[in-house]
Amino acid sequence: MLSALPDAIAILLSFEGLLVLVLGTVLGIVLGAMPGIGSTVAVAIVLPFTLTMSQAPAIILLLAVYAGSVYGGSIAAILINTPGTPQSAATCLDGYPMAQRGDAGLALGWATVASVVGGLVSAVVLIFAAPQLAAFALQFGPIETFALILLGMTCIVSVSTGSVVKGLMAGMIGIFLSTVGGDPILGEMRFTFGNWQLFAGFNLLAVVIGVFALSEVFIRASASVNKVSELVAFNGVVLPSWQMWKGRFGNLAKSVAIGNVIGVLPGTGAATAAFISYAEGRRSSPNRDGFGKGEPDGIVSSEAANNAVTGGALVPTMALGIPGDAITAVMLATLTLHGITPGPRLVDDNPTLIAAIFAGFFVINLLLLPLGMLLSRVAAPILRVREAFMMTAIVILCAVGIYFVRGNPFDLLVMGGAGFVGFLLRRQGVPMAPLVIGMVLGPTLELTLRQGLILTDGSFVAFFTGHPIALVLAIAAVLALSLPLLRALLARRAS
Amino acid sequence: MKLTTVFSTAIAAAISASAALADGFPERPINLIAPFNAGGGTDLLLRGLAPHFAEAIGANAFVSNMAGGSGTVAASALQGQRPDGYQLAYMSITVSTIQPQIKDVPYGLDSWTPICSVAASPTLLFVSNDSPFQTAEDVVAAVKAEPGKYVYGSSGPGAMTHLTTVAAFAGLGILDDLKHLPFQGSGPAIKELTAGNIQFFGDTEVLMQRGDFRPLMVFNSQRLENYPDVPTATEVGIEAPLNELYLWGGLFAPAGLEPEVTAKLEAACETAVASEGFQTFAENSGTVINYRGAEEFDAFYRAQYESNGALIEAAGL
Repeated sequence: MLSALPDAIAILLSFEGLLVLVLGTVLGIVLGAMPGIGSTVAVAIVLPFTLTMSQAPAIILLLAVYAGSVYGGSIAAILINTPGTPQSAATCLDGYPMAQRGDAGLALGWATVASVVGGLVSAVVLIFAAPQLAAFALQFGPIETFALILLGMTCIVSVSTGSVVKGLMAGMIGIFLSTVGGDPILGEMRFTFGNWQLFAGFNLLAVVIGVFALSEVFIRASASVNKVSELVAFNGVVLPSWQMWKGRFGNLAKSVAIGNVIGVLPGTGAATAAFISYAEGRRSSPNRDGFGKGEPDGIVSSEAANNAVTGGALVPTMALGIPGDAITAVMLATLTLHGITPGPRLVDDNPTLIAAIFAGFFVINLLLLPLGMLLSRVAAPILRVREAFMMTAIVILCAVGIYFVRGNPFDLLVMGGAGFVGFLLRRQGVPMAPLVIGMVLGPTLELTLRQGLILTDGSFVAFFTGHPIALVLAIAAVLALSLPLLRALLARRAS
Repeated sequence: MKLTTVFSTAIAAAISASAALADGFPERPINLIAPFNAGGGTDLLLRGLAPHFAEAIGANAFVSNMAGGSGTVAASALQGQRPDGYQLAYMSITVSTIQPQIKDVPYGLDSWTPICSVAASPTLLFVSNDSPFQTAEDVVAAVKAEPGKYVYGSSGPGAMTHLTTVAAFAGLGILDDLKHLPFQGSGPAIKELTAGNIQFFGDTEVLMQRGDFRPLMVFNSQRLENYPDVPTATEVGIEAPLNELYLWGGLFAPAGLEPEVTAKLEAACETAVASEGFQTFAENSGTVINYRGAEEFDAFYRAQYESNGALIEAAGL
């Protein structure tokens, strides 16, 4: 494939190539920053345009929008506490407190650099190690995935600001919400009360936007109507200096690695990676005490991981023809429309195309830095409007975005309901991030647990006796839960 | 003016207005609803058809996705809509004939005006290329020797992939000796077939070609052109109605569509399906084109609705 690189670069440097690289990235960032329009919708919006393009630019456009939207999601998360996409929900946790402190530009700077590094490393990994990583992905059956998600669930504890009990409660609510709809094994309907609108379950994006953004609007509205606007001061991205990175490289490297590995595994995704990476950062970062209060390492953990997923997700897609999520499925569909059969022989049969796609992906991640800085400068004046206008605009944007995703008015009711319940829960000090984690991880946890039980004829013990990877992950999950307790116990004994 | 005159004028106006409605149809863009996520097989096919359909009908046609509940959310939403011809759904065998018989959905046999069928691909039962099974007899012998050992996958309970494997193993009389492992979509299932966690999967030829897989039988009336050595289900001893299975799909409008509008949509569908662009698309994507007009499709759809009851019973859904 590397020998095809010169031809591939020629494709990228053509007018059409450059145009889709720049326009696609810009469009991705803008769409990603809009609350409610997730990466999947952003990619679906540009899909019709790809039909008239030639092969490589078509896929590169989709990739640019994909990578741009994952980064763009962090802008709204940091500036207005509204995750543009579920995968930037973890970015809110430290990004927004930092912005409230007056360091919005710097918070975005950390997010930008972390995103670019995460994306670039994943592009390099994709170019040089795709076949090996694809083989690794095949080792991950339902039982291994179950153990990984179990480990992910432990981050509910670490993102529970304040009371762990309330955090666990929120996590349970999230898991419960995710069980509404069709049973994944038997196909029967659960908790729908005969209402067909609930056959597909609660829309994740509608719930995320409701509990984060709408509840925030309600809280502000209820606080005081006449209060002077407390919107964040923001004049554009401020990149963190070299000095500030001191002592943070370990956390960055770990986050990128987590994003890459999780991205490679089909059926997990960027939101999972961001939360697991955040939890790991909170456990092991030298600055872990500041997490949740506006700690740069928190932003770096989440953003480096979710952008690293984009490259990882392309590994099984390109090397095996197996899409890891809805977005990579769209890419495979686009390849098919252009007369290319995805599958294990894709790379061997189309070396120039694949080289152009991979090299294009690298360039897209380079472009995130200048384009991200430029676009956030353009966006800055929007934040200087009065709070009442800003809040109204957020509500409208959220509603339009949510309606747009599935064209289903019922999702608006879900968003409103989630916003109201989120408002009540937050007033009682219940954190919302665990709820989202429960909803994101719950379905995979249930599906893989029940698949595993079918494979082992109902023996849960057999999950770990015959599956070394699962055993290691499960031990890690137990340690992640018990170490903080042990540490506290030891500290008490010492004093 | 007499009251009767007013009425008759009003009625005349209303009639001419509705005639004008059919005359002027279409006046605005037509929404083609894919009841599954963007990027799936249904979505792909509809996006391939849409531009040619738009050209034939002389108006814009756009594809929208309303995913969820194995396609039932979109179908349930559409059945309550006004039958004006501006909203059509591309529904498959499962959405239109299987799901309403296994779920408590608000639609059924009589909820639709079928417009045209577009495609019908026979499904195949296949194994990984390194599998020891060469024929259906090998499978029966192995499964009988070790009941409960082997696993077949599906893209979800009640999906076409599920029905294919059920038809194969129920037809061979070994369904109860195998385990069923449902996944969410064909992608993850195909991955597990490659990895070896499942031994059997059933899908269309296009999906099968995505990996290193080997077909054991095809649920078609005759052998496939690309696989002349692979027997049909009938040849390996599977009896009707389990011996033929087609993943078919076509455009449906809500019941009660005006015949003039139906005729226009049907004609546009026929032109679009026959167009050079769509034929090329079908060739590239491995779509097996199977056009039926409104009347013929209606009869076919109703016959399928009845006969698929046997499959549903065999699957225990």
